[in-house]
Amino acid sequence: MAGKHTRDDGTIRTLAELKSALQNAIELEHSTIPTYLCALYSIQDGTNQKAVETIRSIVVEEMLHMILACNILNAIGGEPAINKPGFVPTYPGHLPDSDNSFVINLAKFSRESVDVFLKIEKPATTSEPPKAKGYQTIGQFYQAVRIGLEYVNDNTPGGIFTKDKKQRAKQITAEHYYGSGGQIIPVYTIDDAREAIAEIVGQGEGIDDTIEDSDQQMFGQGIEYAHYFRFNELHEERLYKDTDTPKSGPTGDRIVVEWDAVYNMKPNPKMDDFKAYPELLEKVRDFNRTYTLLLDNIHNACNGQPDLLMKGVAMMYQLKYKAIALMNIPVPGTRYMAGPSFEFEK
Amino acid sequence: MANNRADLFLEISALLTGFNKAELQGTGMVATYYNTVANIPQDPNYSDQELAANEANVGFFFEEVNSILKENKKDESKLQQAIAGRLMPLSAYNGLAQSIITLWYTGSWGANVVNAQAYIQGLMWDTAEAHPPGAKQPGFGSWSFPPL
Amino acid sequence: MKTDHYDVVIAGSGIAGSLIAKTLTRAGKKVLLLEAGLQAGVALDSDGAYNNYMSYLDRFYNAAAKVPNSPYPILKDAPTSNVLDVVKLTPGGPPPPGYLVQMGPLPFASDAVRGPGGTMLHWLGTTLRMLPNDFKMKTVYNQAVDWPITADDLRPYYEMAELEIGVSGEVSEQTYPDTPAPKAYFGKDYVFPMHKIPQSYLDTEIAKGVQNMTVKLNKRQYKINCISTPQGRNSTPNAKYPYRDVIWNKAEKKLKLTGLLGEKYDYNPVPSIWDAYTGQRCEGNASCVPICPVQAKYNPLKTLKRSNFDHLTIITQAVASTINIDEKTKEVTGIVYKRYNNPDSPEYTTGVAAGKIYVLAANAIENAKILLASGAANSSDQVGRNLMDHMVMLTWGLTKEKIYPYRGPGSTTNIATFRDGPFRSEHAAWISPFDNWGWSWPVFSPGSDVSDGLAMGLFGKQLRDYLNERLTRQFLLHFECEQSPDPDNRVTIDHQYLDPLGNYKPIIHYYATDYMLKSMEAAKTVSDQIFAANGIEDHTVYNPVTDAGYVTYKGQGYTYRGAGHIVGTHRMGFNKHDSVVNHEQRTWDHPNLFLAGCGNMPTLGTSNPSLTMTALTFKAAEAILKQLEK
Repeated sequence: MAGKHTRDDGTIRTLAELKSALQNAIELEHSTIPTYLCALYSIQDGTNQKAVETIRSIVVEEMLHMILACNILNAIGGEPAINKPGFVPTYPGHLPDSDNSFVINLAKFSRESVDVFLKIEKPATTSEPPKAKGYQTIGQFYQAVRIGLEYVNDNTPGGIFTKDKKQRAKQITAEHYYGSGGQIIPVYTIDDAREAIAEIVGQGEGIDDTIEDSDQQMFGQGIEYAHYFRFNELHEERLYKDTDTPKSGPTGDRIVVEWDAVYNMKPNPKMDDFKAYPELLEKVRDFNRTYTLLLDNIHNACNGQPDLLMKGVAMMYQLKYKAIALMNIPVPGTRYMAGPSFEFEK
Repeated sequence: MANNRADLFLEISALLTGFNKAELQGTGMVATYYNTVANIPQDPNYSDQELAANEANVGFFFEEVNSILKENKKDESKLQQAIAGRLMPLSAYNGLAQSIITLWYTGSWGANVVNAQAYIQGLMWDTAEAHPPGAKQPGFGSWSFPPL
Repeated sequence: MKTDHYDVVIAGSGIAGSLIAKTLTRAGKKVLLLEAGLQAGVALDSDGAYNNYMSYLDRFYNAAAKVPNSPYPILKDAPTSNVLDVVKLTPGGPPPPGYLVQMGPLPFASDAVRGPGGTMLHWLGTTLRMLPNDFKMKTVYNQAVDWPITADDLRPYYEMAELEIGVSGEVSEQTYPDTPAPKAYFGKDYVFPMHKIPQSYLDTEIAKGVQNMTVKLNKRQYKINCISTPQGRNSTPNAKYPYRDVIWNKAEKKLKLTGLLGEKYDYNPVPSIWDAYTGQRCEGNASCVPICPVQAKYNPLKTLKRSNFDHLTIITQAVASTINIDEKTKEVTGIVYKRYNNPDSPEYTTGVAAGKIYVLAANAIENAKILLASGAANSSDQVGRNLMDHMVMLTWGLTKEKIYPYRGPGSTTNIATFRDGPFRSEHAAWISPFDNWGWSWPVFSPGSDVSDGLAMGLFGKQLRDYLNERLTRQFLLHFECEQSPDPDNRVTIDHQYLDPLGNYKPIIHYYATDYMLKSMEAAKTVSDQIFAANGIEDHTVYNPVTDAGYVTYKGQGYTYRGAGHIVGTHRMGFNKHDSVVNHEQRTWDHPNLFLAGCGNMPTLGTSNPSLTMTALTFKAAEAILKQLEK
């Protein structure tokens, strides 16, 4: 489904291309979530407080970004499509429509998975042009989306932001969304859209040449480092100091990362792997049913029924408990534990 | 014998609690509870005599479990009868079967909570289609609709 | 050792103490706060606050009996009451062990937390205002006493309290008996900071049969009115809520609510003290009492955290013992405190905290104790008297359909019908919250249900099914009966009964008047009708042998339990002969001594007292600021 309307040169010139790119943005944000969640849930209870806090805070921001992308798409009259089999990435896989330069997995928390996370969150460099397709960094992708939004809006008489009351009511607002490590921004204008993109990019890769994210500047929140730098603290097993820069790397206190206090989850599990073990298979299937229900729920919430998100939150909590249960179940005949497979299962 | 006993423990726990083995494994408590039942590490408050008596009792219990499972492999209703008659009475093995059920359902062994996770993983909360108070929170507003 | 001279010295960091500390320091006053509990409990930095609070949570998880005090440290040097110590008293026998020296004839059944944040660490979170007639019981019903202020006088302070605590609720649903409609009682445009906490599925199912049903009581008919309960826990912000802060207006010499509509972002629910993204909404932990793991429920540390720390000094592990008084001027000259290093060792050093104005905010029983020990503020002989609690009678049963209890906040709906009415000249009024937590309170479900199932010989699938059927149908109803003030229900002290630091243990004399017993009889009649009309199978048992609060009336037995509402003991009144404090919460006897907390309340009403106490504390803070700036 991804990339249907995207130009090969990665620029966006029409409303259809823009809608397609924003749908890609939703899929892009979503594709990182199962990856992060597997790492997060694989950490054994009561250990690795810093790693847990880091991944948790980042994954909730990714969820926020996904909803912000839905808000932008709704604002220009699009329809976020979330509950379709093609929406769910296959793991191992690539970031949707990226340059496929690295592989993302469903895997336990480890040095290798943190390496991948750093690649996902790598800040854009000025040498790479904005590109909505074949991008290397997520920042590149969003720059292209922002430029596309401005271009199409400027070149459409009356602009592209909907005035329709019913369509405007599809925005997810602070009433429905909270606790996300950022500010939900309802999008009605090009300025709102710019702010939403700035929020996504700012939290993800930070403000130019600093390690901080944009929330403090935008919302007066306490200083928080951008995703890349927060993961880098785990990678380097050392904290940043406020005076550190991207170049300096972290020079603060050492932290202990307990790489072994982790469930040995089978990498990239599939329901097919558990066919021989009906009790276990049923639990993986049960996880996937809840995951699919959640996608349905978010789809409907972002298509005119925002109140549904309350139930979606309950589903997210259930997913967590079901995933952790799976990681406690040994896969017979292997040294691995089971794990959530994030497959579309009606 | 130890490994064998641990397997027997999981097997009989499933039959006693009504939760299947994967469900029990999913709590992450199998090893802790097996150690609790088998009294490993041994309770410092027990006298040597008490320890020996307990060890013997646990040994008899697992032998009985082993033979019940072997004898009734094919007949579910006979298996149930054997458990009811030979394990469930308080007079059988110091009421160990009932203690094991209580352990799984409540997380308590005697008057004590085994540990924080034992409380959190108590099967009674799952059975109530709820969650342990103060843990595994279900999220804002979840209580306003029936359990998912 | 004598401390520096402060503008104000406060004893106790519960909501009363914390709120006064916050309000005063933000108005630029220099405040010293004495706290009996551990230093770790006042950590307000992210790591310190989180680690300490998680230690509470861990203690709760590991506790065999998950009673209200179970998460909080037990300190020999600052001991406190505990519901586990509440046992049936033997007439003429020695008082049972415990901090409260229970002289009976009945046990006082409520407990308190002694530590930073105080007892509101384990409050349920219900934030109902009192009703207009609650303030004039003598005039209207010839019972108890009138307050020296009315509901209208208190209204602006209630609004401040509702901001401070962060109340979630729908004003439009607050229809009470004998009370003006919500728009009149709360003000035409008034809304709470947040929309109501969603009512539980259980509430909706029960209300289907109970709302508007008719019950008969003493030949009168009543139509049952179930309404959503306002609560101090975070919910969806109400975009119409205009206020953001309470500030001291120097020119007008008043505390004022401030804040503007039309701000880009709505009212922000106050999160946990360790992390801005935790606790923005109630997450349904279903453990409000004893502990909200995410601090979505208000606790006083949130207030303390918003103090101006340039002006605030906190001395912890400092137990206020007595106050020093200048014999000539009657002014208080210092609070004497005993400071321990190790809470288990009887060693301590003595200090005297000195300031211009003093506030005792140590809870109703502790305040009374300190005053009695100092011979202070007692020209009315009312110190320690009129100890009150809601006497809680519970009824429980099994519903026909599954209602799925054990989920959500403790209570989200109440029956308001019997909160006021002419019957109050005969027996006490009550409020009936629906309880969302099954039979856990009266019979320790679901653990007891597991035992019951085993006793029936059940195991395996059959046991699982039995428990599922039973636990998903448990309904519990409360009748929180308003205890009337009685001079003989009281706190006293005696040299015989001292704690390890040599401070007095409170001696409690407590009983239930016929006015109370009759309300239990009446409440049981109402419960019976509700259960019968809705096919709820009654499983209520009042056990004469094991229930500590077992009482009889006209040959029938009832059991009361404590509500955790420790009220009275230094009542507010009209003059120095009838009361300990005036309407500003200043003692009649000592011009620079204020008392804060539930001890000031002349009567209890049918509201949980925290909100009213918070409103009164704003009044006290305002009076203190006025006095300082005279």
